[in-house]
Amino acid sequence: MNLNIYLKQLNIDAKQAQTFSVLKEIEIKYLGRTGVFNTEFDKLSKPDKQKNGQEFNQKKQQAQEIINHRNQELIEEESKKSFDVTIPGILPPIGHLHLVTQAIKEISDIFEKIGFIRRRYPEIDTDWYAAEGLNIPKDHPARDDQETFYVSENLVLTPHTSNGQLREMEAMKTPPIKMINIGKTYRRQIDVSHTPMFHQFEGLLIDKNINITHLIGVGNYFVQNYFGKDRRVRLRPHHFQFTEPSFEIDITCGVCGGVGCRLCKAGWLELGGAGMVHPAVLKNGGIDQKKYSGFAFGWGVERVLAMKYNLPDIRNIYSIDLRILNQF
Amino acid sequence: MDIKLPNSTLRKYLTTKASAEKIAEVLTLCGPSVDQLHHLEHDYVYDIEAITNRVDTASAFGIAREAAAILPLFGIKATLVNSPYDIKASDLPERKNTKLPLDVEIKDESLIPHFAAIVLDKLTVKDSPDEIKNQLELSGVRPLNNLIDITNYLTLCFGQPVHIFDYDKILGHKMILRESKPGEKVITLDGKTHELKGGDIVIEDGEGRLIDLCGIMGGKLSEVDEKTKRAVLYVQTYHPKKIRRTSLYTQERTLAAQIFEKQPDSRLVIPTLIEGVNLLVKYASAVVASDSIDLFLSKPVKKTVKLDLKWLNRLIGFDFDYKTVSSILSNLGFKIKKLSTYVLEAEVPTWRLHDISIPEDLTEEVARVYGYFRLQSQLPVTANLSVLTDPLLDWEYQAKKYLADLGFTEVFNYSLVSKEVFAKANIDPNHSVSLTNPLTTEFESMRRSLIPSLLMDLENNQGKIDLPIRIFELSNIYLTDEHKKNKLPEERSILVIATQGLDYRHAKGSLEAVLQSLHLNNVNFIKQNDDSGPWQQNQTAEIYSDKHFLGVFGTIKPEVKSAFALNGEVVLANLDFQTISNLANTNFGYTPISEYPDLIEDITIQSDLHISELIQLIKQESKLVTKVIYKDSLKNKHTFTIHFNDSKKNLSQEEVNLIKERFLKIR
Repeated sequence: MNLNIYLKQLNIDAKQAQTFSVLKEIEIKYLGRTGVFNTEFDKLSKPDKQKNGQEFNQKKQQAQEIINHRNQELIEEESKKSFDVTIPGILPPIGHLHLVTQAIKEISDIFEKIGFIRRRYPEIDTDWYAAEGLNIPKDHPARDDQETFYVSENLVLTPHTSNGQLREMEAMKTPPIKMINIGKTYRRQIDVSHTPMFHQFEGLLIDKNINITHLIGVGNYFVQNYFGKDRRVRLRPHHFQFTEPSFEIDITCGVCGGVGCRLCKAGWLELGGAGMVHPAVLKNGGIDQKKYSGFAFGWGVERVLAMKYNLPDIRNIYSIDLRILNQF
Repeated sequence: MDIKLPNSTLRKYLTTKASAEKIAEVLTLCGPSVDQLHHLEHDYVYDIEAITNRVDTASAFGIAREAAAILPLFGIKATLVNSPYDIKASDLPERKNTKLPLDVEIKDESLIPHFAAIVLDKLTVKDSPDEIKNQLELSGVRPLNNLIDITNYLTLCFGQPVHIFDYDKILGHKMILRESKPGEKVITLDGKTHELKGGDIVIEDGEGRLIDLCGIMGGKLSEVDEKTKRAVLYVQTYHPKKIRRTSLYTQERTLAAQIFEKQPDSRLVIPTLIEGVNLLVKYASAVVASDSIDLFLSKPVKKTVKLDLKWLNRLIGFDFDYKTVSSILSNLGFKIKKLSTYVLEAEVPTWRLHDISIPEDLTEEVARVYGYFRLQSQLPVTANLSVLTDPLLDWEYQAKKYLADLGFTEVFNYSLVSKEVFAKANIDPNHSVSLTNPLTTEFESMRRSLIPSLLMDLENNQGKIDLPIRIFELSNIYLTDEHKKNKLPEERSILVIATQGLDYRHAKGSLEAVLQSLHLNNVNFIKQNDDSGPWQQNQTAEIYSDKHFLGVFGTIKPEVKSAFALNGEVVLANLDFQTISNLANTNFGYTPISEYPDLIEDITIQSDLHISELIQLIKQESKLVTKVIYKDSLKNKHTFTIHFNDSKKNLSQEEVNLIKERFLKIR
């Protein structure tokens, strides 16, 4: 048994190893269970093994030291390297989801947790679904508020997502109905707080024994999840043709916490309209208004974004300047 | 409809210790919203939103009535005083002079539910007293002279529009109220000449001249001026839809028109006339010179609504007792009759006839006056639904998120575009959904392609931000089919990915990555031979998954780039996302990893076939080929790195060499 020749060879191999993995392979080659050393030893007869046992172990230990030594050298080489750790990283291309997409995702997730099904209904719809079926007769003054774009006498760009109410009733046929319809809506106006296209989210819940306190509950649940847990809603009397009673929903101002400041009206910010579904609308949707009641609300996605991030000009949301979009 | 109400005017009808701030607060919570309360030196002004169905709140008296019903629920006493409904016929001053004739003829009684007029003599035209002038100014009305100011003041107090004619300018002392004929012209007090469409309510005098565009604005011909001595005070209600129509198309959205189209109470006509005469006697030395002409042609019909308290409590989510409900309704002017322990019948007051018809309407009255803020907040308990969201909506978000993660920025463009921009992009603008009342030509029709918007986005960002630019939009397009007139336009989800300053292969790589992330089967690109559209021939491919067409991908034509003044390479994909969503696969499984190592070889093939075809052929040659990676090309010599593997044993070099020989025969 001449192990010295192997030790010599190991020395050369180990010196040449530049990486930890190559060194590991060398270690296995010489000192592994079926490595060079063990193989040589196994060739010996039983009495020879006994005789040479001590020497074998010594040589093996020497071999292990050679490996350990080289390992230590490699560690030291790498540890020596030094550079400015504050050097800027090399960025991959960075993309951005639009604020509206982010808000829609956030809003639908919040409502899906309490069982509202996300829907999308037509953006171009008949006058029936967008107005008449919602209890807004032709030439009614309530149409003033809607600033509707017309495609033809009977076809409009939906001025609100409420066209989804009748469509959802028709699709589901019997309550419970729990919908969150999010989509594009259009109105003939453009200024600091209006763009001709915007998005609304329309909640509709119809079931037995649904009352005003449930609308307050769902309103609070939403604003606490979306704006923060210290926020709450209040209802003010209002009028919409398709709800009775009708409300305007306000939320406590996030800046002053509800005591009143420059940004709000005496501590409150206007969120949007809501109400108990009008019996005529239930009837038009084929729902038995004696058995069921419900509430509906339609709030602006851009509106809640502007409120959450204090955006002074809602038109900035529709900027296509990448210097703005890349901040979202 | 927004009104400005001076506190001093309100207090003429409301006696209470409540401060203006308190009144504003409780009205906002339980009645008409006070948008703002202005503190002035000697007064306050409430900015009040009188909502569409509550024209009865568009006046000092109307607001006082609301406040008087609401304040007691906050523990503050309040009394309604000087109600116009308490004015009696005997309050009209007697006629002392000789009677001045006024002949009234109404051609169509459906036009005017209530007509009232009276002739006054011996008028002195001068400034109004300061008290009236101040209140008018605070309410946003410019004082002119005592006659005009008194008519405006009556509207501020009672919400009933009033008009005054110069009696001597009504030729023949005759008023004929009728519908206008098409093409007739009338000059209104603001000096504008309106050519009428016909069907408008007008008054003609004895000489056939139009002296009033009724319910909108008085006629110039019968205007009172500083020389006026004799006048006709005129109070009325009109057919609401006629007024609204005329007001909208003449674009005269006057306060009178906004009130008349919402049907004010006809029972207020005579009290307003009497109050007006008294004010004119007091401030313009008027004497009554005719009997009052009172034609109540369509009297309101008594209306009652039944209310079941058990039902009411279910809808509100509260436990109201009979006493609370009946007291709230009584304070609002309803006459209550008890039918049983839980059921009452409410007679609707004349000023709410057009607003209250069903129990839900009464529910609103009870709940709001009591105060929504006193109700609980609770989440509803309902059964869970077994329906699913349209998978399209989830796939859309997933693709958007993936693209953003790949470095693309999402843009949102308006669905409304100009037709001109389609021509620039070499896309046919016909068959678009067009608007009949666009805001501007910039927003005249609905997009039938997203491509022009994205090209515009690149144009608008050029020079502002470093290349390469990577953007995408995932939105609906709108398609009409002229043959299917009765169907709604189709709204289809489309994904457009655009890059500028990025080479074809890198752009294509991002697109392939997105499609891979959706696990579409067997995606392949086939050269497009069509030269129409925005893409450059020979640089454009059609994309398929198996046999399903997904869209088009390629380089934008120089002509189109020039139209948008775009520099650098512009590559664009237009994908039918609805189809992609239908094919997207969540059930894709996996292939086990072979226990044996790959043998990896580079091979160069000379061929005029497309690279994608070569890759297919290489793969088809042997099952042992597990991966083909394109490296590069030199003319028609293409180099690939090929992985070989046998999952059952170690491959020998000889076996691989045999397969390689076969590759070289590919042409």
